[in-house]
Amino acid sequence: MTQTETGSRVLKASRFRLSKGLLTMAISLAVLFVLSATLAPSSVSVNVVSSWLQFSAILAIIGLGQMLVVQQGGIDLSVAGAVSLAIVVSSQVPNGHDDGIPLAIVYGLAYAIGAGLLNAFLIGFLKLNAIIATLGTNALLFGAVLMVSGGIPQISTQLLQDLAGGDTFGIPNSMYVALVVLLIVVVVSKKTVAGRRFEMVGANPRAGKAMGLRVRSHEGLSYVWAQILYWLAGFLIAGITTQPTAYMGNAYLLPSVAVVVLGGTSLLGGRGYPVATFVAALFLKQLDQFVISLGVPYAVQTIVQAAALAIGVAIYTVNWRSVRTRISSLVAGKPKAAPAAS
Amino acid sequence: MAKSTTSTATLSLTGITKRFAGVAALTDVDFEVRPGEVHALLGENGAGKSTLMNVATGTYQPDAGTITFEGQPIGTLTPKLASKLGIAIVHQHPAVLPDLSVEDNLRASLPDKFFTPARDAKKIATELLAGVGLDVDLRDRVEDLSVAQTHLLEIAKAFALKPRLMILDEPTAPLGKEAVDLLFSRVRAEVKAGVAVVYITHRLAEVREMADRVTVLRDGKMRGVSEVAKITDEELLTMIIGRELEHTFPAKSSKPGDVNLRLTGFSGKGFTNVSIESRRGEILGISGVVGNGQSDFMKTLAGLENFSGTVEVGGTALSSRELLRRSAYLPADRLHEGLAMTLSVRENAAILALRKFTNVKLISAPKENKTVLATLNELAVKAPSADANVSALSGGNQQKVVMARALLSEPLIVVADEPTQGVDVGARAEIYRLLREISESGVPVIVNSSDAKELEGLCDQVIVMSRGHVVDSLRGKDLTEARMIKSAVTATTQSVSVIDGSYGARKTSGFSRFLSGDYAPSALLVVLMVVLGGFILSQNGKYLNEFNINSILGLATALGFIAIGQTIALLIGGIDLSVGPLAGLLVVIASFFINDGSPLGSILTGLGLMLVVALLVGLLNGSMIRYLKFTAIAATLTMYIALQGFSFLLRDAPDGYISADVSGLITSKVGPIPVAFLILAIVAVVLEWALRNRRWGWNLRATGSNEESARRIGINVNRTMIMAYVWSSFFAFAGAIYLLAQLGVGDPKQGVNYTLSSITAVVLGGTSLLGGRGSFLGTVLGAVLLIQVMNAIVFLGLTDMWTYVFQGLLILVAAIVYSVARNRQKQKGRA
Repeated sequence: MTQTETGSRVLKASRFRLSKGLLTMAISLAVLFVLSATLAPSSVSVNVVSSWLQFSAILAIIGLGQMLVVQQGGIDLSVAGAVSLAIVVSSQVPNGHDDGIPLAIVYGLAYAIGAGLLNAFLIGFLKLNAIIATLGTNALLFGAVLMVSGGIPQISTQLLQDLAGGDTFGIPNSMYVALVVLLIVVVVSKKTVAGRRFEMVGANPRAGKAMGLRVRSHEGLSYVWAQILYWLAGFLIAGITTQPTAYMGNAYLLPSVAVVVLGGTSLLGGRGYPVATFVAALFLKQLDQFVISLGVPYAVQTIVQAAALAIGVAIYTVNWRSVRTRISSLVAGKPKAAPAAS
Repeated sequence: MAKSTTSTATLSLTGITKRFAGVAALTDVDFEVRPGEVHALLGENGAGKSTLMNVATGTYQPDAGTITFEGQPIGTLTPKLASKLGIAIVHQHPAVLPDLSVEDNLRASLPDKFFTPARDAKKIATELLAGVGLDVDLRDRVEDLSVAQTHLLEIAKAFALKPRLMILDEPTAPLGKEAVDLLFSRVRAEVKAGVAVVYITHRLAEVREMADRVTVLRDGKMRGVSEVAKITDEELLTMIIGRELEHTFPAKSSKPGDVNLRLTGFSGKGFTNVSIESRRGEILGISGVVGNGQSDFMKTLAGLENFSGTVEVGGTALSSRELLRRSAYLPADRLHEGLAMTLSVRENAAILALRKFTNVKLISAPKENKTVLATLNELAVKAPSADANVSALSGGNQQKVVMARALLSEPLIVVADEPTQGVDVGARAEIYRLLREISESGVPVIVNSSDAKELEGLCDQVIVMSRGHVVDSLRGKDLTEARMIKSAVTATTQSVSVIDGSYGARKTSGFSRFLSGDYAPSALLVVLMVVLGGFILSQNGKYLNEFNINSILGLATALGFIAIGQTIALLIGGIDLSVGPLAGLLVVIASFFINDGSPLGSILTGLGLMLVVALLVGLLNGSMIRYLKFTAIAATLTMYIALQGFSFLLRDAPDGYISADVSGLITSKVGPIPVAFLILAIVAVVLEWALRNRRWGWNLRATGSNEESARRIGINVNRTMIMAYVWSSFFAFAGAIYLLAQLGVGDPKQGVNYTLSSITAVVLGGTSLLGGRGSFLGTVLGAVLLIQVMNAIVFLGLTDMWTYVFQGLLILVAAIVYSVARNRQKQKGRA
């Protein structure tokens, strides 16, 4: 060992690093809460908070699924069909009888895994564009929705309502489920060999291939994992909204992408930020509650969402350092061209 | 350089100095080339030849020195000025557009005046190709050409410009003997006509054959200039070699052990028949002029390509698969193949050794940190922290991270491609020491380097490759930089691909060209429409009545216009998710101005406002993508949500009935066919023609096909892309005009569905989501088929479920068929 310098160059691991995405979302959520409490106190009342947690939990689970796909540089437009199908299977198959729930779970998971494998085959194996493939799968899933429901809504069973829609210690059950999902995603992706390889392949597929990692499998399977989470969310929605309709999944497509982007995961793939995605779901739903409590129309709510998304993306994608140097060099008067070395 | 010159030099560079980040790439270099002269530029890899030529073409601005062109001093030479003066360069990497045809490549790259009169364009293009002996069909896609053919195309483009000064950067590397002879005779003819030629090469034989004078560079400094006839090969070699040694190397193997690596008849893509043995403790070097099969050899040895022959490591033969898993490959292209730049130092280093750190199934952070940090510190990696992103490290430290990963993975063999490229001097010495240590531990180490001096210092054995063949094998006292360079520059082998026969004219039949062409999907769609229509007609006689035809074509009109806009966004390799909500918003805006009894002024204001809003949205989309670097999905998704919000802001419920007179005008028809549909068809035909025959279309497709090449042939990529989004929004506006008549009311919920259905229609029409190829006619046919299928559900008495099933199957089957057809064609082209 030819250690020429002092020990100061010995490399250390820094623990407990806070990602930019998590920091941004946590601060935004805190600020939003202060605003909500002062400007629209009704948006932080007990009832509102409870329903906020419930819907945040659903969005968080779906968002985590979308995040896994985005980590592989893909995008999943079949969220809408998948969630809708899970909802109708969970309410139609038991046909009002509690003992039909296990069968509904089996059917629901089978559909979900089937749809995931179809996406995996189309995108991982046939190398189709993710937008086209999931657009097609989405249509097929809606076909299945109408096949299962026949277009007629069915009331969820009492047990499902109690399970998914109920509270434990004052906190909605769905929130516990979402937290468990979060824990599993964090542990599997950060603490297992497969999860770490998954991130590597997503961050740079060519390097992954050069290292001998199974690039296609990771890419394809991300759609299966996502579908399983969509099913779980749909199952919970079926319990929460006692009489679900066939197209309820549509409302989750855009927010699912939005929370992933707000959480700091790049649409180009790579490292995922599950905790930040989770917090982003809380933030987006609280934003809804806040704007509703202010009494402004739904329109403003949507525009505020778009603005939040635009600012969120800009925080992560714009190279602020180069913007600063460019501005300061403009001020100084002489922009300097620095071409890369050949 | 005080030679008596009867004529003024075409280009004269004096005292050129160029530094990159403080490191001198060129120091006080003089170079001149006269009319009617071929001036060869010689030098090792990295001697500064390309940098000098980049100065000569205005790509780099020198830090010191003057440039004179035909006697006129040039203050600042820009690429634009250079091409105006008539300076043309043929790069080693051709700036071609793979998705465009040969003819479109020529027309996109050359000024319009070149192809006048336009009706003779084909003849002019054919002559151009004949001039360089390129025997391909003008309609062939460049993607399907061989490497050599692509180079000939690039050379044809340079000749076409009738330059005053022509720079050829290793033009013969991928070419066969006949093509080289033809090229030389073309160059001679140009020279006779007074053109000045700079000829960069590594081959002394070519210098002798072509050049009048020769300049040699070494380490960015002038080594000398001479008339070719007055200098011997030996003298030239002495000028080329002899770089100063910047660092020391570890001692070479003193007592080699048993043979631990044996290649027998090892052949693969780009190289052939390598047989070599290496012993325990020895490092095997691969030398040669860059791009002569060395990198292919390394990739194959790392298991990334298939091979024939055998590879034995420690007496065991390994398959390609085993090599992939058990070799440690240090790629030359660290940025793209070596590291995940957005992950941390620790994650990158640990990735192949993770199994060693698990407790039960979970990775233990302390175990991982302990081992990985120990290795990183042993390699003296300098980083802010082990959890910093790899992108924050210097080139040398990044390479050390790759080495740490290799060490941690306990490989059977180490394959290091250009391990010290972009690495600072201090880190180099440590990399040499590490490679030596790995070798001594019994793991075979193979190093490819473009730096012969480095191989001389580091290796115990070196093979020299030229155009895919081993032309020399050196050991002991023969292992010198001089011998390596001599072997490489005096080699006269032909490229492996030439011998394989993959070079040369590959003729495509008209039919297979049609299948891979832009109109095959359209033909397929027409067949589908006829079959589907015939089937429904057999089930229900009313299918072809006036009302139904009008209703199908009417619905297809709005979708068709919006999908045409989407096609433009996809052609440049982007996507526009905002078209649906934009069309919806525009109808809502119209519902305030275009009502029954509105005066003409109000109606015109409404239309004007719709147009302004559409154009603004397009401009915003494009600017977010190009200037703020949003991905196309993120930018247009944000716009999607915002536009929806504005629709609801203007109207929270359907209201504002559209004037019946205006609606009637918009939906007027000729027989069963809506006038608006006829307009759509005309617009599609005109756009289709422009896409194939106007600069607008070439620019769009060129940008989508290969942004970098498009920029190099002088296309303003930013403007093209932003304008593409403006066009996309404009056609959403056109669609909205028909939509407002169809909906008849300002409904904030309407329109959004057009985003996904427009993408579906475009994909059905055969436009690629990867950009560069597509067809507006196909898009319109796709829109009609989509509506026809929806309509069929009603006529056949099927349930809603089938709407979705057909829609899903249609898009998936189309995507699969088109992508499979395209891949097959590609493979055929490469075979």
